[in-house]
Amino acid sequence: MKIAVCVKQVVTREWPLRIDDAATWVQDRDASFEMNEPDAYALEEALRLKERHGGEVVVCSAGPARVAQVIREALARGADRAIRVESDRLAAADGGMVAEALASAMRDEAFDLVLTGLQSDDQGFAQTGVVLAELLEIPHATIIMEVQVTDGTLRVKRELEGGWFQWVSMPTPALLTIQSGINQLRYATLKGIMAAKKKDVRVVEPSPDLTPHQEILELYVPEKGKQTRLIEGSPGEAAIELVRVLREEARVI
Amino acid sequence: MIVGGGPAGLSAAIRLATRQQHDGGEPLSIAVLEKSRQSGSHMLSGAVLDPSGLDELLPDWKTRGAPVETQVRGDRIYYLTERSQLRFPPIPSSLDPFQNHGAYIISLNRFVRWLSEQAEAEGIDIFTGFAGTDVLYDGDRVVGVRTGDRGIDKHGERKGTFEPGVDIHAAVTIFADGVRGNLTKTLVQKLGLDGPAPQTYAIGIKELWEVPPARLDAGTVMHTMGYPLRSEEFGGGFIYALPEGKLAVGFVVGLDYRDPLFDPHMAFQRFKQHPLITELLTGGEMVRYGAKALPEGGWYAIPRCHVDGALIVGDAAGFLNSMRLKGIHLAMKSGICAADAAFEAVRAGDVSASALATYQELINTGSVRRELYPVRNVHQSFGGGMLAGLAFSGLSLLTGGALPRGRLSSEPGHRRLTWMARYYRTEHPDPDVSSNAVKVDRAVTFDKLTNVHYSGTRHDEDQPVHLLVQDTDICRTRCREEYGNPCVRFCPANVYEMVPEDAGADGGTGRRLQINASNCVHCKTCDIMDPFQIIDWVPPEGGGGPEYEGM
Ligand SMILES: Cc1cc2nc3c(=O)[nH]c(=O)nc-3n(C[C@H](O)[C@H](O)[C@H](O)COP(=O)(O)OP(=O)(O)OC[C@H]3O[C@@H](n4cnc5c(N)ncnc54)[C@H](O)[C@@H]3O)c2cc1C
Ligand code: SF4
Repeated sequence: MKIAVCVKQVVTREWPLRIDDAATWVQDRDASFEMNEPDAYALEEALRLKERHGGEVVVCSAGPARVAQVIREALARGADRAIRVESDRLAAADGGMVAEALASAMRDEAFDLVLTGLQSDDQGFAQTGVVLAELLEIPHATIIMEVQVTDGTLRVKRELEGGWFQWVSMPTPALLTIQSGINQLRYATLKGIMAAKKKDVRVVEPSPDLTPHQEILELYVPEKGKQTRLIEGSPGEAAIELVRVLREEARVI
Repeated sequence: MIVGGGPAGLSAAIRLATRQQHDGGEPLSIAVLEKSRQSGSHMLSGAVLDPSGLDELLPDWKTRGAPVETQVRGDRIYYLTERSQLRFPPIPSSLDPFQNHGAYIISLNRFVRWLSEQAEAEGIDIFTGFAGTDVLYDGDRVVGVRTGDRGIDKHGERKGTFEPGVDIHAAVTIFADGVRGNLTKTLVQKLGLDGPAPQTYAIGIKELWEVPPARLDAGTVMHTMGYPLRSEEFGGGFIYALPEGKLAVGFVVGLDYRDPLFDPHMAFQRFKQHPLITELLTGGEMVRYGAKALPEGGWYAIPRCHVDGALIVGDAAGFLNSMRLKGIHLAMKSGICAADAAFEAVRAGDVSASALATYQELINTGSVRRELYPVRNVHQSFGGGMLAGLAFSGLSLLTGGALPRGRLSSEPGHRRLTWMARYYRTEHPDPDVSSNAVKVDRAVTFDKLTNVHYSGTRHDEDQPVHLLVQDTDICRTRCREEYGNPCVRFCPANVYEMVPEDAGADGGTGRRLQINASNCVHCKTCDIMDPFQIIDWVPPEGGGGPEYEGM
């Protein structure tokens, strides 16, 4: 099976985030980056599928030059080769734009299976995978907890609300968005790291017509609603006022 | 094989590659093991860089785009009292103890990341996320190192992802595992390599701040002495101004203080509360935090650094000039010397201690000894207070380091820590309250837990505790009574906590030790300063630890 895994590089959550001067993104010049968490599980799932069914795993990422880091990590864990769509315009791009960038680089490869993470840790739209499937004209299923492959047919387990699951059968080629925690991530080995250096990374430039579909107008930290108000008066009056405030202003009763 | 990807280890690696290119011959395979997740993640320094080591390693560093840009412009030294300060008149540069002329203010994290890119471009393998846990021997000959197992849970059982450690064999192993390196420590013990004087240490605590840019011109270097330390404690503060309003604000305290209730982190808070410093920081934002020990014993504390099959470089060996508060250039130079010695030994097919002794010769005849020998007595004099130290430094430099009364004696710093009863005599202090405690305002001053949040520290929670305390019974009995559990105070990351003991425990003082290992910033202070010497810092699972971006 020829499997593609799309991984995104995101800012680590190790420090309190800060908003940049233009208030449209987080300050990422001084940040450190890592592989988006659900994408790491998608990669692991792809590697396991390859171990079971053979084939190859191609890791794909779109972003500025720095995303080479997550590509290398993926190659060290066992992916066979990589496609990197490089543009600074993709640094904080919306899901649609990223999907377009990926689709044009991936289309000719005719993958049997494309795995992405369920959503990204930074923007969290959960759309990149879905839009990518549309652009590649293949079916998709989201929030996947388990993947079974028999004779080119998929049986996948989707997570629904409230502890409910759904099993879906679908043909390949297809795209699945993978939920975090569905498997246990392997460590990169010394051998894997050495081998990664020799693996092929195809760097492509996105089409110049690629344009954003969304614009972030303002990014702000949610205001903390912690406020203390002292209600004066006799106990009786204060109690009546307290009930009024709770009912009419705080709307909690 | 090089263990530790700091300035010392990477300089050794790059030098080996350069020699290889220059001298030709059968290609060597060169690898660097580094415990941090990414190159440079565990780097914490001031840092004022004396570029002499870099000039030697990569003379074309400017065109290679080294992140070494901010030249030191102004150098100010202050003596602080609680409310005011005295600025020293400009010191003639021949006497200036810091010797900052021609130096640069850098982020060591960035610098090391760049060094590792240079090394990788030379084809050197840099394995990040791998910690060396054991030295491999054949008799007394070092033959390599073992990396840690990964995927072990907190009870010591294998997880589904278990990945065993590997034995990596090498003709020559260069230990560059930094201050109090866990491998160097066992190597020095096993082979009895100690220098003539015991190694002494300090702890440096640092924050990175962003303040309105006009506060301090980029390139300004400030050092303080005096308050909040008493004359029995040595150390002082530093502020280095980077471009765009970034300030490196730090405080260094000798790990040979006497007061068991003293807390270095509190001293740092008091330093920031001084009007001179508060004025610089108010309205700014603290963006990073971290801590790391530094070796301050000087020339006489350096162990023998060449053995059969191995060499020791950088902070691991103690190549640091404590008077200048500088070790990066010496780490780099020692790495270069070690690489030269190793290269020749490997080519000659003889990696015995006597062949590798070339390293010692290169150190002795080169700029490392030229810099360290004249100040060989400085740390000892600092023990009597930094002001005396400064005066002495001048004298010492003039007399080439000769002292009126020969060498001063010194002992390991933890031995100076005094029993509470002896230190406080008639008082009965509360062992849960630091003697220098201050109330933090969370604007300029912070508690340890808040600070740790800004160190980016992360460890897999489900792994064995990496701070091995041989006998925790001592903690709840003798240590609590005699020293009041100083680990709670000298650990800058709130790893050690004395929590109420479970009902039914007998014979104790009502408290037991709890180790919050995942907070550990790998500073090594506990391994150094524990008065009972029963704490062993061993590497946690590779990849864990702080993330010192920009530090
Ligand atoms: C607060 C502070 C301020 C300082 N200011 C300055 C200054 O202004 N100028 C200056 O020149 N110097 C300064 N120094 C000193 C300087 O930072 C050190 O001398 C220098 O970093 C030493 O380099 P090194 O490569 O020997 O060790 P390190 O920089 O400590 O590097 C050691 C590396 O080895 C890794 N390692 C350790 N153990 C293992 C293991 N078992 N397996 C794998 N990897 C391992 C570590 O993660 C680390 O990356 C300062 C130090 C401190 C703490
Ligand atoms: S546990 Fe030890 S090494 Fe870790 S932060 Fe605390 S003092 Fe430093």
